[in-house]
Amino acid sequence: MIRVALRGVRAHPVRFVLSVLAVTLGVAFVVGTFAFRTMLSSTFDDIIATTVVADVYVRGAEEVSGDSTEAAAGDVQNLGGTRTPVSADLVETIEQVDGVDRAVPDVSGPAVLVDADGEAVVTTGPPSIAFGIDPQDPSLVLTDGAWPDAGEIVLESSAARTAGLAAGDETTLVLGDEPRPVTVSGVFAIEAAAAGAILVGLDDATAREVYAPDGEVAQIAVWASGPAAGDAGPPGAADEEDIADRVGADLPDGAEAVTGQQARDEASESIEQVLGFVQTFLLIFAAIALFVGAFIIANTFQMSVRERLRELALLRALGASPGQVFTSVLAQAFLVGLVGGGLGVLAGAGLVRVIRWGLALADLEFAGRAPLGGGQVALALVLGAAVSVLAAVLPARRAAAIPPVQAMRDDVAPERGTRTRAVGGIVVVAAGAGALWLASLLGSSVSESPTGWTWADDLSPRVLLGVGAGLVLVGVLVGSPAVARPVLTVLSLPLVVALRPLGRLAQGNVTRSPRRTASTAGALLIGMALVSVTGVIAASTQASVRSIIDTEVRADLVVDSATRTVPDGAVDAVRDAPGAGTVDAVRLGVAPAAVVDAGGTGTAGEPDAGSDGTDVAGVPAAFFDTALEPVALEGDPTSTLEAGDVVVHRRTARERGWEVGDTLRLGSADSSEADGGTVDATVGAIIDSQLVGTGVLVRDEVFDDVVPASQTSTRIVYVTVTPGTTVADLRVSLTDAVEPYLVVTVLDREETASAYADQVDQVLVILYALLALSIVIALLGIVNTLALSVIERTREIGLLRAVGLGRLQLAGIIAVESVLTAVYGTVLGVATGIGIGAALPGVLADEGLSTLAVPWEQVLAILGVAVVIGLVASVWPAIRASRLPVLEAVTVD
Amino acid sequence: MAMGDLEARASARDLVKVYGSGPTAVRALDGVDVDFARGGLTAIMGPSGSGKSTLMHCMAGLDSPTSGTVVVDGVDISRMSQRRLTALRRTHIGFVFQSYNLVPTLTAAENITLPLDISRTRVDRAWYDEVTAAVGLRDRLHHRPSELSGGQQQRVACARALVSRPSIVFADEPTGNLDSRSAGEVLAFLRRSVDELGQTVVMVTHDPRAASYAHRVVFLADGRIVGELRDPTQQEILETLAGSAGGAAGDGPADVDVDVAERTA
Repeated sequence: MIRVALRGVRAHPVRFVLSVLAVTLGVAFVVGTFAFRTMLSSTFDDIIATTVVADVYVRGAEEVSGDSTEAAAGDVQNLGGTRTPVSADLVETIEQVDGVDRAVPDVSGPAVLVDADGEAVVTTGPPSIAFGIDPQDPSLVLTDGAWPDAGEIVLESSAARTAGLAAGDETTLVLGDEPRPVTVSGVFAIEAAAAGAILVGLDDATAREVYAPDGEVAQIAVWASGPAAGDAGPPGAADEEDIADRVGADLPDGAEAVTGQQARDEASESIEQVLGFVQTFLLIFAAIALFVGAFIIANTFQMSVRERLRELALLRALGASPGQVFTSVLAQAFLVGLVGGGLGVLAGAGLVRVIRWGLALADLEFAGRAPLGGGQVALALVLGAAVSVLAAVLPARRAAAIPPVQAMRDDVAPERGTRTRAVGGIVVVAAGAGALWLASLLGSSVSESPTGWTWADDLSPRVLLGVGAGLVLVGVLVGSPAVARPVLTVLSLPLVVALRPLGRLAQGNVTRSPRRTASTAGALLIGMALVSVTGVIAASTQASVRSIIDTEVRADLVVDSATRTVPDGAVDAVRDAPGAGTVDAVRLGVAPAAVVDAGGTGTAGEPDAGSDGTDVAGVPAAFFDTALEPVALEGDPTSTLEAGDVVVHRRTARERGWEVGDTLRLGSADSSEADGGTVDATVGAIIDSQLVGTGVLVRDEVFDDVVPASQTSTRIVYVTVTPGTTVADLRVSLTDAVEPYLVVTVLDREETASAYADQVDQVLVILYALLALSIVIALLGIVNTLALSVIERTREIGLLRAVGLGRLQLAGIIAVESVLTAVYGTVLGVATGIGIGAALPGVLADEGLSTLAVPWEQVLAILGVAVVIGLVASVWPAIRASRLPVLEAVTVD
Repeated sequence: MAMGDLEARASARDLVKVYGSGPTAVRALDGVDVDFARGGLTAIMGPSGSGKSTLMHCMAGLDSPTSGTVVVDGVDISRMSQRRLTALRRTHIGFVFQSYNLVPTLTAAENITLPLDISRTRVDRAWYDEVTAAVGLRDRLHHRPSELSGGQQQRVACARALVSRPSIVFADEPTGNLDSRSAGEVLAFLRRSVDELGQTVVMVTHDPRAASYAHRVVFLADGRIVGELRDPTQQEILETLAGSAGGAAGDGPADVDVDVAERTA
């Protein structure tokens, strides 16, 4: 039986080509994702291995990672997460420890380099940082010029290339507070690929002045002395632990010593975590692609079984059991999956090479290693085979059910009815819609118990959203055959009238087998539903952002920075600009926060152990009068700030369970006095705001008490005009004032909204690019079905040609069929997508999505794309059909 | 030929068709001369492999001859391009096939007017009514093929072949898949279309009974014309078949005998 099955594939390889291709594309995506991750991992591991090279690191004992990544600027040396700082003065203590050669404080922070053309070098993603150079650091190799003195910098070689600067060039560097004219004294290299990061080396004094004005540094690198030190290579783990123990014994409270190995491990771990998210994200799209591919395979086998009805019945008549027929069909599917999976592995490996080459062209260098593990190859093959076999199960069951007597009959089994599909579809869609409605209700409600049922109130709106969206999509797929005939009949009406008799013939062909048309269109339906959900999210986000900025921003102008940090010098320049009235700077930091007195019940006590770091924003007391007007859910934000109490963002309040009246202890009790102490403050108001995404807001005075000065950065500045000045004039003066800072921009409300909208658009482009693969696979599905149905309809086509149908007319019929199928899938997909999208504002209000907006222009564009997809998909089948020799087509058995 | 007094609607001269090449080449037609006169129902008979289907395909512009000429309606079609052949089939030639001969997604009426729709020609209502009346299916015109019996389907196919007033209609085993009653209806209609509607029909058949409806029967064996009967009876046809089969060398006779036995049983 297996031999019969394999012969079947060999006899008609063309029929399975597109199924193989569908598996190949899906598996290539999976393999490419794995290889991409390996490439990123090895790149970052290299960076860690070559930059985190000291034997021991001394750092703050307490981790204060906040909710948002905005708080702290990226820092390769500090990948393990943000911690409380340590005093640079500890260097002397540490150097006294036996076995320590020297201790070097790590002074680094964000910096903006100006390139040879006078433009700021802006990186999106990778950090742009400056750090104090330790010429003895073995990981840094000077390749040209000299190490920097005051007023000089050295550039990492890829940064020098990106900026077009070389030793001896003069340029500007924006460091923390102000732009400084500097001379490039040299170029250095690190052993790892920089992966797009801009690394600028400063002389130690300047670095300390800029990044550790209060003597606080993120960490201190400690080098062991003796044979283990320096270029003799790193000491063994035992030595590192030994030294770390001895250093640790001499450290004050609030500081700890860890071995270099531990620092490297922690850094790798946090990177692996991020890469894990990236990988999961990409794998979701790979899964969608494979799922869509499964439709092609299912359709191929469905049609192959239908066509081989007599052959299979003959096998049954000759004594094959239903199980054997079933197995023979699955064996074919297994072969298709295995071949597709194998090709996919090769294609995936090639894909990553192309990506790396493309990134290298964009000056983003990555390590060359992207090997595929045997396990990953095996997984890819198993995945390809599994998808293929699962997709073929239903057709195989049909094949097994063919009665032997069918071998004698001439007629083809009639299409099964679609009533069960209609009922099933309605039930599943209804269940999904119910879940979406509940998700929307739970997500948008402020009440504790929106439904009144405990079990329902405890459900997570996001999980419900996901389940509901999935159910609706599956329900539409299930019910699609039932609506295919009426919907297609309506869709094809204009063509039937306009293209006689081609439109009528094509209409007949697409409605003759609603199940087949529906499952062909199903692949496209999924892709288009996702595209339209994405589109609705994007349009709604943009619309929401616009309405929020209209209602929430009180200030006339906003000063923002491409680096997400406004230099202190720029803030001062803004304050001094003529025409500037109220200048409200928002400073961000992270501080531990915990409830010490819940709801004023007098249960005062020590903060519980879970005193997690929270994003804290420091603003002027009158911030909510002049800069922003957030939605106050409870309490009065303005009086709360004036009283020195805490305003909490709704999201944080919900996550942490804080309520108005709770007393919070902000700040770290362990840190030295210079780090600020702790402040107990009451939660006075809960707000909802899209522009302030951070956890808690306090007035500047409180902020200074709880967040160490070295750990703060100004995120954004709101400016209001003085009476008698126009906004336009203020804008000119502000623009002049911040001009030296290069990365700082002045935006009015409209531009602020656009800036947010642009960010949304960038994400949208990435999502569309990732969804494009499933659309391409869906297109292949249409090609597949058309090509197979051309084979199936050979005799009918012969008849049409015999009675005088021209080749172009025949091609026209197939093109119309194809377009109708594509448009049908798209119409259903877009409708499903918009339906799902309607539930989003309720659930994603926290993410800045409060208004539902359907991008109708985009919907039209998608329909246009569907027509193009249909036309493209019809090309090959149409050529095949019109090349069928009339005589053979008429006389075919 | 004998019917020289009537204008020939289609004629072949020294028609040769060779399939394949070298030692495996098969001469399906080996120098055939034949004329099909206007207003006649001609049956082509012969054992399997005698070349009767090939002759019909070549004369209908579905296949191109290796050598020789085919003239339809005064035009030499043997060297025509595919495009012109398509146009010719659309306007000058009607077809009736053995089976699966209707487009399943179209109604009977739509199937009948299909050739006119394809060529974007207006339907001649009076002629359409006459043809559909003749096939006797006026009340079934809006049914799909799957809702019609085999005989009804074949009569729809005949009406379709006639609706564009072709110069000549070719029917390939039109009764091959039908029971004898349905076959009788179809054959009676084909004969009526010649006698009453003035059409020209050429029919390939195995079946002596079917051939007995024809004005004239042409016998083929091994790619050559080996005999001819006018207004034959079924008995005459059987005798001629036996004679020509006996005269022709090879494996022909057994085939014919079995066929004849089956069809007449």
